Amino acid sequence: MEKLKILVHGDKAAFAPRETIRGAVEWNLDANPRRLDLSLFWYTSGKGTRDVGMVHSTQFDNPGASGSKEFSFTLPEGPFSFSGRLISLIWAIELTCSPGSETTRREIIVSPTGKEILLGSVPTQSPFPWGRKEAGPDSPEDILRVGP
Amino acid sequence: MRARDNPFSVERVHAIRFRPQGATFPGLMTRLKTLNYRAAVVGRDGSGKTTFLEDLQRALIEDNIKTRMVFVNDTSPLSDPACRRLLSELTRDELVLLDGADLIPRSAWSLLKRHTITHAYGLVITSHRPGLLPTLIECTTNPSLLRDIVRELQPPDRCIPVESLDTLFQRHQGNIRVCLRELYDLYARS
Repeated sequence: MEKLKILVHGDKAAFAPRETIRGAVEWNLDANPRRLDLSLFWYTSGKGTRDVGMVHSTQFDNPGASGSKEFSFTLPEGPFSFSGRLISLIWAIELTCSPGSETTRREIIVSPTGKEILLGSVPTQSPFPWGRKEAGPDSPEDILRVGP
Repeated sequence: MRARDNPFSVERVHAIRFRPQGATFPGLMTRLKTLNYRAAVVGRDGSGKTTFLEDLQRALIEDNIKTRMVFVNDTSPLSDPACRRLLSELTRDELVLLDGADLIPRSAWSLLKRHTITHAYGLVITSHRPGLLPTLIECTTNPSLLRDIVRELQPPDRCIPVESLDTLFQRHQGNIRVCLRELYDLYARS
């Protein structure tokens, strides 16, 4: 059995902005934790430094070695879940136990369409008229080949 | 490819920790103690200096040594007033980990070096060149290191040929960070 579990009503994975997420957390630990922390947040993933936005957090003090608690979080207007080539914005609910390193995370989608918004690509344009237009032998395209 | 799926995303790359070439971490910790916790981590850009400093901080905390990490770079310089403020807040049981010592003004460096002899537990810096403090380790890279790191990160069904990695390593003069960023871009396009 999992030590920490996050359940969302109806097993729902996608939410609209301002919608309320309802669910429950369950824990079954070897020892009595001092505290359980439940957080709703978003974070970025990709090429740049990670950005994090904490939206809601709640804590359960002296919860005992096992048990369950209901929770509800109302989502803000945004940001929406999205993915491009350089950056993705991911929403998650996370339950952590302290002391200890036990943690569990459940990703959700926050979007008016019910799906992660996929950013399209912008055609590459060299600002210099003399710029190389075709990929050369040392270009990244040449390096990335499927191996044997 | 979506950024979140990119095998060379920053968080995945950051999960790869420092790999001492020709040394061991416990051996380096012993040497640092011998140097009275005043030492330099030397190496070129992208050779793992910052990664080593972060790992060192973790190891020092495990040894119950208080640390204070200071990052200096072109976008966040350490001016003389900022340096004085840092020193005024410093306590004798703290070990200063200064990333980018060769980027701070000479006056601030002199002050920091002198002050931390008596007012701090120690001072460990990173620098592109030796000579500021006794060298604890000279971070170096080689094509094999890049291959090992890439092997851990890349998806098994989309391997990059070894020769291509060696070419990449040569092109970026051994700067592993830049190599990994380029690999991010390569996968992003796919």
